[in-house]
Amino acid sequence: MNGAVPRGFRDILPTEARELHAIERTLMSAFAGYGYVPLEPPTVEFAERAVTVDERRTVRFLDRDGRLLAMRPDVTTAVARVVAQRYREAEATLRLAYFTPIFREEASMRGSEREYDQAGVELIGDATLRADAEVIALLGDALARCGPLAADIDIGHVGYLDGFLAALPADVAAAAGAAARSGDLVGTVSLARAGGMGVDRVGALERGLRHRSADLGAARSGAPRRSQDALDTLDALRPLLEAAGVGGAIRFDLGYIPALPYYTGVVFQVTVAGLGFPIATGGRYDGLLAKFGADRPATGFGIAIPHLHQALVSAGWRTPAESPLLVLLPGGGDGATTLRVARSLRGSGIAVAIGDVAEAAGQDVRRARVVDEGHLEYEGAVRAIEAVIAALAAAPR
Amino acid sequence: MSALRIALAQGTLLADTRVALAAAGLATDVLSEGGRRLVLPIGDVEYVLARPSDVPTHVAHGAADIGIVGKDVLLETDADVLELVDLGYGRCRFVVAAPTGSVDRSLDEYRHLGSLEVATKYPRVAHRHFQLRGMQVEIIKLNGSVELAPQVGLADWIVDLVSTGRTLAENRLSIVEEIATCTARLIANRVSYARDRERIAALASTLEAWAGAR
Repeated sequence: MNGAVPRGFRDILPTEARELHAIERTLMSAFAGYGYVPLEPPTVEFAERAVTVDERRTVRFLDRDGRLLAMRPDVTTAVARVVAQRYREAEATLRLAYFTPIFREEASMRGSEREYDQAGVELIGDATLRADAEVIALLGDALARCGPLAADIDIGHVGYLDGFLAALPADVAAAAGAAARSGDLVGTVSLARAGGMGVDRVGALERGLRHRSADLGAARSGAPRRSQDALDTLDALRPLLEAAGVGGAIRFDLGYIPALPYYTGVVFQVTVAGLGFPIATGGRYDGLLAKFGADRPATGFGIAIPHLHQALVSAGWRTPAESPLLVLLPGGGDGATTLRVARSLRGSGIAVAIGDVAEAAGQDVRRARVVDEGHLEYEGAVRAIEAVIAALAAAPR
Repeated sequence: MSALRIALAQGTLLADTRVALAAAGLATDVLSEGGRRLVLPIGDVEYVLARPSDVPTHVAHGAADIGIVGKDVLLETDADVLELVDLGYGRCRFVVAAPTGSVDRSLDEYRHLGSLEVATKYPRVAHRHFQLRGMQVEIIKLNGSVELAPQVGLADWIVDLVSTGRTLAENRLSIVEEIATCTARLIANRVSYARDRERIAALASTLEAWAGAR
């Protein structure tokens, strides 16, 4: 054994693990505040179900039954399966939340991780714009509760581009859409031109793909009917977002085309300055659940926890303070006294470790020596246990 | 507002890239000093000079906001970046080439042996092309002088980048098929394009108009 771990996997050491747990608690409590209940799907699923992620990017293996299995590449797929199997007859809205590792196959030497935490929600069974506003507001709320992030939510609509492409021959439209999702906007425009799109319309498309503003007016001229419909939807979304309390300027970005093909309506991403990857992405995916046998509208988002964590740490964030950890150094005697003292301190809500700690994981650590059952030597003086408890409880947080 | 960081491919594209950036109103004096510094701040931009094949990586990770690099490099690296403008210069072609007069013979061989050996500096482009054609080939990755491979019996065919075709002719190779025509592209990091839209979109429009007028 050489002690290494497989490429793309890593140890999360205690300091970071505490920070991630703090983020998890904050997010899951924010999600619960909107009525989202936790779902914990299994780590592996049958590989043929992974329809949401490029199959070359799933971590796959054969089990002893000869079935091809995939490590969960995202949670949306599992949610779709659970809904189709267990909530097939449910008429009401389903609100599910998760915080869990996901696994993606990455080319080597790209500096990419193959396992990382993702948090998110899925809102299933509500096709209204109110539902779109709800998940966007929840995302903004949950991130704001994590810490001081100068995060921006950009909102787009996949129908805007689709409206332009709809007039093209089907194969050209498909190729132009795929080019846009892969980031090749030059290819999208040249395919559209080659497919017979008029000069004015091509110009309108190019302007539209560069449009990022609170106001959609400039993107209307020259846009086809279906694209106008998408803009109408975004205009109708604005007052709902304001009512839901989405903070800061609401900005529409018609050039935001998500990489995944299954989105059908309003889409959004969250970015912060200085980080080259979005923290969170999401949107409406009304057609996806039908592939699993449950044709229900749905919207949701996923937060890439490593990116959120990185952004929080760059913004000066630290784990919310807890009471200090008291390290109890045994006095003389057989140890029974020390154990009894530790028990009584813990009974008063003090975290106590006996002996010494090699890894404090960023906690505020105080030290005390046991004198006898009722007394500790703390900060240079022998004090009654009650006095030490009071001092620790008053410790700055 | 922080400086817009622009990754530029060193080498043959750089001269035209300077002209393009100057036409877009950016200061480019620092690019002509011929010095050894690789990070060159001037005004509200900062140039980063990198190997062409590294430019997409810089931009994909957000180490640079935007970049200028050949489509050939983008096809081979497959990085997750936005391609915003076709700048039109640096035109070259990915081609499949074979020793002159031997195409029929190698196709015979292919029917007989079921596979051809193809030498290239661009394994991803070559692999994707022959996969699309449904042809089984063995890709042999070389790091230079690919046109040598058929002469010394290392490979039947080559996939290479040509601009004038003179190197091919001098090595008695002829083009079997063109894979793609490549030109320089303005690329952007996805997050930078969202957050710094005004500057990047303005630059993209200016460069597009410049490229269209040439």
